[in-house]
Amino acid sequence: MQAFFQYTVEGLTIGAFYALVALGYTMVYGIIRLINFAHGDVFMVGAFIGWSVLVTLLGMHWAMAAAFLVALALALAGCGALGVVIDRVAYQPLLAAPRLSILITALGVSLALENGVLLLYGPGFLTYPHLISTAGFDIGGVEISWAQTAMFVISVVLMFALYLVVHRTYVGTAMRALAVDQDAARLMGIDVERIIQLTFFIGSVLAAAAGVMEGVYYTQISFFMGFLVGLRAFTAAVLGGIGNIPGAMAGGLLIGLLEAYSAGYLSSRWTDVFVFLVLIGVLVVKPTGLFGERVVERM
Amino acid sequence: MEDLPASRAVAGTALAALALGAGVLPFWASDYVLDVAITILTYGILGLGLNIVVGYAGLLDLGYAAFFAIGAYTTALLETHVHLGFWETLPPALALAALSGVVIGYPTLRLRSDYLAIVTLGFGEIVRIIATNLDITGGPNGIYGINPPVLFGVELSSPAQLYGLAWAFLVVVLLFTRRLATSRLGRAWLSIREDETAAEAIGVPTLRVKLLAYVMGALVGGFGGSLFAGRFGAIDPTGFTYLQSINVLIVVVLGGMGSTPGVLLGAVIVAGLPEALRFLELWREFGFAIGLIVLMLVRPQGLWPAPASRRVVLPEGDAGNLVFPGAGAARGEPLLAVASLTHEFGGVRAVSEVSLEVRRGEILSIIGPNGAGKTTVFNCLTGVIRPRAGDLRFRGRPIAGLPPHRVVALGLSRTFQGIRLFPNMPAYENVLVGMDPHHRVSLPGEIFRLPGTRRDASEHLALCRSLLRFVDLEGAAGQRAGDLSYGDQRRLEIARALGARPEILLLDEPAAGMNPTEKGELMALIRRIRDLGVTVVLIEHDMMLVMQVSDRVLVMDHGALISEGRPEEIQRDPRVIDAYLGIEEGEEAGAEPEEAALWRS
Amino acid sequence: MALLEVHGLYVAYGKIEVLHGLDIEVKEGEIVALLGSNGAGKTTSLRTISGLVRARRGRVLFAGGDITRLGAHQIVARGIGHVPEGRRIFGPLSVEENLRLGGYLMRRDPAEIAARLRASYEEFPRLAERRQQLAGTLSGGEQQMLAIARALMLKPRLVVLDEPSMGLAPKLVRAIFSIIGRIRAQGTSVLLVEQNARQALRIAHRAYVLESGRVVLAGTAAQIADNPQVRAAYLGGGAG
Repeated sequence: MQAFFQYTVEGLTIGAFYALVALGYTMVYGIIRLINFAHGDVFMVGAFIGWSVLVTLLGMHWAMAAAFLVALALALAGCGALGVVIDRVAYQPLLAAPRLSILITALGVSLALENGVLLLYGPGFLTYPHLISTAGFDIGGVEISWAQTAMFVISVVLMFALYLVVHRTYVGTAMRALAVDQDAARLMGIDVERIIQLTFFIGSVLAAAAGVMEGVYYTQISFFMGFLVGLRAFTAAVLGGIGNIPGAMAGGLLIGLLEAYSAGYLSSRWTDVFVFLVLIGVLVVKPTGLFGERVVERM
Repeated sequence: MEDLPASRAVAGTALAALALGAGVLPFWASDYVLDVAITILTYGILGLGLNIVVGYAGLLDLGYAAFFAIGAYTTALLETHVHLGFWETLPPALALAALSGVVIGYPTLRLRSDYLAIVTLGFGEIVRIIATNLDITGGPNGIYGINPPVLFGVELSSPAQLYGLAWAFLVVVLLFTRRLATSRLGRAWLSIREDETAAEAIGVPTLRVKLLAYVMGALVGGFGGSLFAGRFGAIDPTGFTYLQSINVLIVVVLGGMGSTPGVLLGAVIVAGLPEALRFLELWREFGFAIGLIVLMLVRPQGLWPAPASRRVVLPEGDAGNLVFPGAGAARGEPLLAVASLTHEFGGVRAVSEVSLEVRRGEILSIIGPNGAGKTTVFNCLTGVIRPRAGDLRFRGRPIAGLPPHRVVALGLSRTFQGIRLFPNMPAYENVLVGMDPHHRVSLPGEIFRLPGTRRDASEHLALCRSLLRFVDLEGAAGQRAGDLSYGDQRRLEIARALGARPEILLLDEPAAGMNPTEKGELMALIRRIRDLGVTVVLIEHDMMLVMQVSDRVLVMDHGALISEGRPEEIQRDPRVIDAYLGIEEGEEAGAEPEEAALWRS
Repeated sequence: MALLEVHGLYVAYGKIEVLHGLDIEVKEGEIVALLGSNGAGKTTSLRTISGLVRARRGRVLFAGGDITRLGAHQIVARGIGHVPEGRRIFGPLSVEENLRLGGYLMRRDPAEIAARLRASYEEFPRLAERRQQLAGTLSGGEQQMLAIARALMLKPRLVVLDEPSMGLAPKLVRAIFSIIGRIRAQGTSVLLVEQNARQALRIAHRAYVLESGRVVLAGTAAQIADNPQVRAAYLGGGAG
C-alpha cells in the first residue's frame, strides 16, 4: 500500500507536467480544430531556452533563485513568441485549405524544431544545473520532496490562472465564444485572428513552463523529449475530451498516474501500451472522452 | 474540362518516360541509386495503400507503419521459424494485416475523425512496442537471416533483382488500387470523404465501407512489409516507428490525396529529397522539414491533385431501363404511415404528435414557415434522426430506428434542403453512388474484371446515363458536381436519389434558389417522376409550385400538423393563412397586454 | 446620402454566383425589408454587408465610408449590428456572457458596459431573470431576444436582422416585430430579412424583392404589398 501511495505522488508530479502541455493541445484544438503536432516541441524548446539561460547566468555567478526566475521568464517569453510565429507562418495561411495539409505543416514544424535544436545542441542529453535538493517530508512512509511539492503547486497555480483567464476575463470569454461559433464571434467585433494568436501564445507559455520545470526536475533534456511528452499530453487531452480545459487537466493527471502505476507494477516498457489501451477503451465507451460534451449534429 | 486531354497526354508521356527510365536503370545505375530507387518504390506501395484510407475514404491514420510491421514480421517469423518460402508467407501476412485492419477499424468507426489520429497513432505504437519487447520477435535486435525470395530457382538478392521485384510489387499494388478506386467500393469511399452524412442518407452503408477502407489499406501495407523483409533479410522495430507512419502520410498528402500519380510523386520526394539534400549534411533533415512546410503552403491541395472532372462516354442502354418498383401499381394504396411522431432538440419540440399518410402515386406537399419542423419530419422518416416517439411504417413495416442506408434500400430516398452533393466527384459518379443499394457487382469481380461483372457494370452505367438524361444532365456527366449551376445541382441530386429506384422520393425544397423558368421545368420534372411510378413528397415554400403540382397539401406550424387537404382548400383555410402568412391586421388588437406579460414583467 | 448603400454587389461561393449585381440602400431611421424565396440571396446579402463574406465586385458604403473590404469585426465597430439567421447565440456561455460579448468593443469601459447591461435587462426582463443560465437552455423565443439584445449592446446605427421570427409562436412573432419597432424608435435603422412577408411589410417603410440574386422589385412597403405578383408569390395568391 505504501508503494501505491509513493507511485501516486510520482504520478501526480509527472501528470502535472502533462496537464500543462495538454492544455496547449486542447486550447488550440478547441478554437481552430487543429491538432498542433508542433506543441510538444515547443515544450522541448522551452526546456532548452531555460537551460541556455541558466548555464549562462550561473556561469556569471548569479544567485540560483535569480538565475532560475530569469531563465523561466525568458523561456516563457521565447516560447510564447515562437507559438505566435508558428501560427502566423505555418497555420493561418492554411485555415481554409484541406484539413490534412495543415496537419502536415504542423508535422513539418515539429520536425524543423527537433532538427533545429539537434543542430544547435547536438544529439546527446544535456544536464540541467542542479537547482533542487532531494529533501522533503514523509507522510506515513511515503516520501514527498519539496521539489515535487513545488512543481505540483506551480502547475496547479498556472492551471488555475488559466482557468480564471478563460472564465473571468473578456478575452477568455471571446476565446470560448470563438470555439462555439467563429462567424458569430466576428459579429461581436472580436478580431478572430488576434484571439487565435493569443491562444497559441498562452498554450506555448504553459508548455515552456512545463519544459523548464521538467528540466529542473529530471535534470536531463534532449531534442527528442518533445515527442514523448507531447504524445502523452496529446493523449491526455483526448482522454479528457479534447477542447475541454478541465478535461485536459484531469487527463494529464490521469495519464501521469497510469504511467507511474504501470512503471511501478509492470514495467516502464509497457507504459505506452497500457496508456493507449486505456485511451481506446475510454473512447469506445465514451467517444468524446471523459469530459467531452456530446456533439449534437443537426442538418 | 478543356485541360483534361492535355493533362492526360502529359500523364501518358510522363508514364512512358518513367517506364523507360525505370527499365534501363539497373543497366547503368550504381547499387546506391538502385537502393534509393527500391526505397522510393516501397514508399510508393505504402503511399498507395495509405491513400485508400486517407485519400479515398478521408479517414486519418497516423499508425500505418503497424500494418507494414505486421506484414514484415509475419514473413520474417514464418521464414525463420516455420521455414516457409517467401511466397508462401504472403497469404498469411496479408490475412494477418487485413485482420489487424479490422481490429483497428472496428472500435474507431464511430469516433470523430480527429480522435482517429490518436487512436491510430496509439495502435502503431502498441504494435511497435510489442515487437520491441517480445522474445519471439527478437526484441530490439529484430529478426535476421530471412532468406531472399526465390523465383524460378533464382534467389533474388542483388540490388538489380530486388529492384525488379519491387517494381513487380508496385505494379500489382497499382492495378489493385486503381481498380478499387473505380469500383463501387471506391466510389463509396469518395462519397463518405465528401459528406458522410449525405452518403449514409442516400444508401451507402458507411460503417462497413469505412471498415473496408482500413482492411484494404492494411492489405497493401502488409504486402509492402513482406517485400521489405524479403529485401533486407533482416528487420528490427526501428523500421516501423511513428516517424515511418508520418513519412507515408506525407507521401500521400504532399503528392495529392486520392491521386495515384500524386502519391508516386510524393514517394519520389519523401524518399529522394533527403538523398538529394545530402550536400546539406547535418542540415539535411532540417532542410527537409522546411521544404515540406513551404511545399504545403504553396500547394495545399498537394503537388498533383486528383482531377474531379473526367471525360466519360457512358454506354447507351435500352430506352426502357428506367423501371421503378412502383410502376403500374394501383394508386391510392397507403405506402407510408406515420403516427404520433415526436422529436425534440435540447428541450425544444421540433415535431410533436404528427400523424400522416402517404399514398401511392400521389404528389404530396408539406408546407409551413421555416422552423415549423418539416425537415425534421424528413430526417425522422429517413433514419437520419431517431425520433423520440412515434410509429413509422413503410408498407406496413416499422422503420423507426433503422440506419438511413437501410431505409433507402427499402425504397425511401431523398434530397437535401441545402444541396449535399459530393462536390469533388463527377456528376455521373454522384448518380452511381446513389444507385449503390441496387448494385449487384461483387468486389472480386471488379478487381479481376470478370466478364459477368463487366456486363453488369456496363448496365449500371447505361442506367446512370438514362437517369442523367431524365433530368437533362447527360451532357454534364463528367463535370465536377460542385461546378454545376445551382439548378443543375438540384436536378443532379434528384437523379442521385432516383438512382436508388425508390418507391417514395422525398424532395426538400427543390425549388430553392431557382428562377421562374427553372421552377417551371422542375414542376414538369416532378410530374414525370410521378409518371414513372414514384410517389413524391415535397417540402416547398414556393406557393405557385405547390399549388399547381400537388395532389394533397399538409401544413405544419410549430411542429404540429395544422391543416390538410387539396391545394384549393388549403389556400382558403384561415389557420394556414395565419401561420404561413402572418396575422391579419385586425387580430393584432389585444395582443399587446399578453406580450407585455411575457417580456416586460 | 443614405446610411447604407450597396452598389452592384457580386458574390460567389466557389464557382456558383449567388448575387449578381445587388443594389439596395437604407436611409437613416428607416426599416427596410428584404423579401424573396429561400435561396434568392437574402442571407448572403446580409453576410456580405457585415463582412462575413467577401464580394467579388461592387461596393458597400456605410455612413459615407467604404466598408467593402473591411473585416467583420471592423464593420461592427463602424456601427452595424447583425442578428444572424438561426440566432447563433453562444449556447455553452451564460446569458450575461453573451450580452457582454455583444459589448466586446467597449470592454475597456466597464461602467458603460454595466449601463448597457442594465438597459438590456430593462428592455428584456426575461433575460435578466435568466442571466446566469446557459444560453443554450433558453427557449427559442428567449434565444432570439438574446440575439437581438446582444447585437444592440453597442448601440449600432444600423441593425440587420435575418429571419428573426423563424420558428416562433405567433405571440412571440408579434413581440419580435414590436421590438423591431422600438429599435427604430430609439434611432437605429433596420434592414430586415423576413419570410413573414405580411408582418414585415406592415412594419417596414420600404422593401426590396430579391429573386436569384437580383432586386426584381423595389418600392414603399405599401406598393410592394399591393403588387399582384408579390401577393401571388409571397402572400398566397388571392387568399390574402
